[in-house]
Amino acid sequence: MHRIVAVLAALASSLLLLFLAVPIGKLIGASGVAGIRQLASDGELRGALGLTALTATVATLFGVLGGTPLAWLLARRDFRGRAVLSAVLDLPLLIPHPVAGIALLLLLGRESAVGGVLLAAGLRVVGTPLGIIAAMLFVAAPLFISGAREAFARVDPRFEAVARTLGDSPLRAFYRITLPLSRRGLIASAVVMWARAVSEFGAIVVLTYNPKVASVLSYDRFTSFGLRDALPVAAVLAVLALIPLTALRALRGADDGVAP
Amino acid sequence: MMECRSLSARHGTFALTGVSFTVPTGQYGVVIGPAGSGKTTLLETIAGIVPATAGALLLHDRDVTALAPEARGLGLVYQHAYLFPHLSVASNIAYGAASAEVAESVARRFGADALAGRSVRTLSGGERQMVALARAFARRPSVMLLDEPFSALDPRRRTVVRREVRALHREWGLTTLQVTHDFTEAGLLGDIAILLDGGAALQSGAPDELFRRPASPYIAEFLGAENVLAGQVRILEDRAPDWLDGEPSLLAHGHRAIEFTSGPLTLSTVGDFPAGAGYAVIRAEEIVLSLESPSGSARNRFRGIVSEVSTLGALTRVTVDIDGVPLVASLTTRSAKELALAVGRQVTASFKAVGVHLC
Repeated sequence: MHRIVAVLAALASSLLLLFLAVPIGKLIGASGVAGIRQLASDGELRGALGLTALTATVATLFGVLGGTPLAWLLARRDFRGRAVLSAVLDLPLLIPHPVAGIALLLLLGRESAVGGVLLAAGLRVVGTPLGIIAAMLFVAAPLFISGAREAFARVDPRFEAVARTLGDSPLRAFYRITLPLSRRGLIASAVVMWARAVSEFGAIVVLTYNPKVASVLSYDRFTSFGLRDALPVAAVLAVLALIPLTALRALRGADDGVAP
Repeated sequence: MMECRSLSARHGTFALTGVSFTVPTGQYGVVIGPAGSGKTTLLETIAGIVPATAGALLLHDRDVTALAPEARGLGLVYQHAYLFPHLSVASNIAYGAASAEVAESVARRFGADALAGRSVRTLSGGERQMVALARAFARRPSVMLLDEPFSALDPRRRTVVRREVRALHREWGLTTLQVTHDFTEAGLLGDIAILLDGGAALQSGAPDELFRRPASPYIAEFLGAENVLAGQVRILEDRAPDWLDGEPSLLAHGHRAIEFTSGPLTLSTVGDFPAGAGYAVIRAEEIVLSLESPSGSARNRFRGIVSEVSTLGALTRVTVDIDGVPLVASLTTRSAKELALAVGRQVTASFKAVGVHLC
């Protein structure tokens, strides 16, 4: 009986693994080299990749700046409404991304109060790189907050307690102890956020179709010219996804080891 | 001086309730209690890490109840050291040091100077505790809180480090509070002992007083009293019994001669205990065993049969069955050998009236 269950489990796992790996492998195998070669001649692709990297980096910076204190608060403080705050922060991960784009359009569009104020200040969000950053931040920041919260929770608060008895203020203990001990987890969370921002499509396409980020460009090539023209762009995106994936593996490989 | 006035705190589901005790300036307090009694929470509340929910904490006559940990001028050493793993041993010791000279001096005294170049990840448990002690003392606090700081040290190193802690405590005039589960350590180090259980201080006072005069049978048993007998107390009218030779002052201070009956045993003792139900506590070391009836002044003498002999190094515990009541005596292994004590042997167990404590 145990043997049958083990065989069935192995079969199910193998099928799932193949289902996840084969399409990506086939895409890179069929057009990876062509895509890399196309980088040299395709200015629009280079521009889209550059814009994607830049906007994802800016969105990640905003996410880290605003998300780190939130993550610390959720990991360290027990306060009324913490569960509600957690749920609110997880919501962007659960709603369909075009819906996220529509919600952002409602908030930041020219007809809205916030959009109006921003426009008056000379900042147009919809149809500009700012819209891309807003969409990326909205869908990817919860991943950073969740990871950073876990990274802070892994640091025993007694390290901070000892630092306090050695003369540190809470802020100083955070910089000297908590931050270095959670560093790897925080960087890994930022990498995950960046990677998620790079791969975003649904919310961006609602806010800013042009200028095109890489995901929008691959969709645009597919709908305008068909699979053949879309393949190299898609393959380049798949190859580039290996960069954050490798960084994550390296970060997770060397554990902090924050035992007392 | 460290004074807890009805100090209460909550840490998760655990509550510290109305803890009161005083450790005078320059004195060494020890907190003892079973696992989960709130010893660490008490230290963390005094350190300001766990906020007090009621009561007050005074350090050197200053109310510090609402002060942040960094403003209280105290040091804290946890049982598990909590060395900062991203820093070297030297950086850990220098972390909050009053000066480089003090850091260097205490590192040398605790033997942590030899570890200075090492990563804390490579240290053994004992080495970690030595570095943690050096780090806390390097700050030169006026109050030191120690949570089982010698538990990971081997016996030889424990003696050396304990001596250094006690020496620094004396030289710097520190007020120290140490958590320990080791009664010998409590007796060796402590000027004052506080017994904590269920988040409340059950009794405090000089360690010897705590061990000899426990306030309840529960405390007596927790503190390792081998003989705790339930029985009836009867006050005797005789205010100068002849068996109290040489100790008349005990009766002069409101004490009475007392007869305590527990099953077939009737004990003579003195105290200010009321008549009625009570418990008699007799520590094993108070009981003297002899083959014949001794000629000394001990009022309580009972013939019995040895039912168990356990040798624990230099000491031997002997259980004597007296008409069905087991009495445990502790004597040196040498004495036990001289008496040729063995199971089934008839002996006399004797102890003085003042060796019986009622609670």
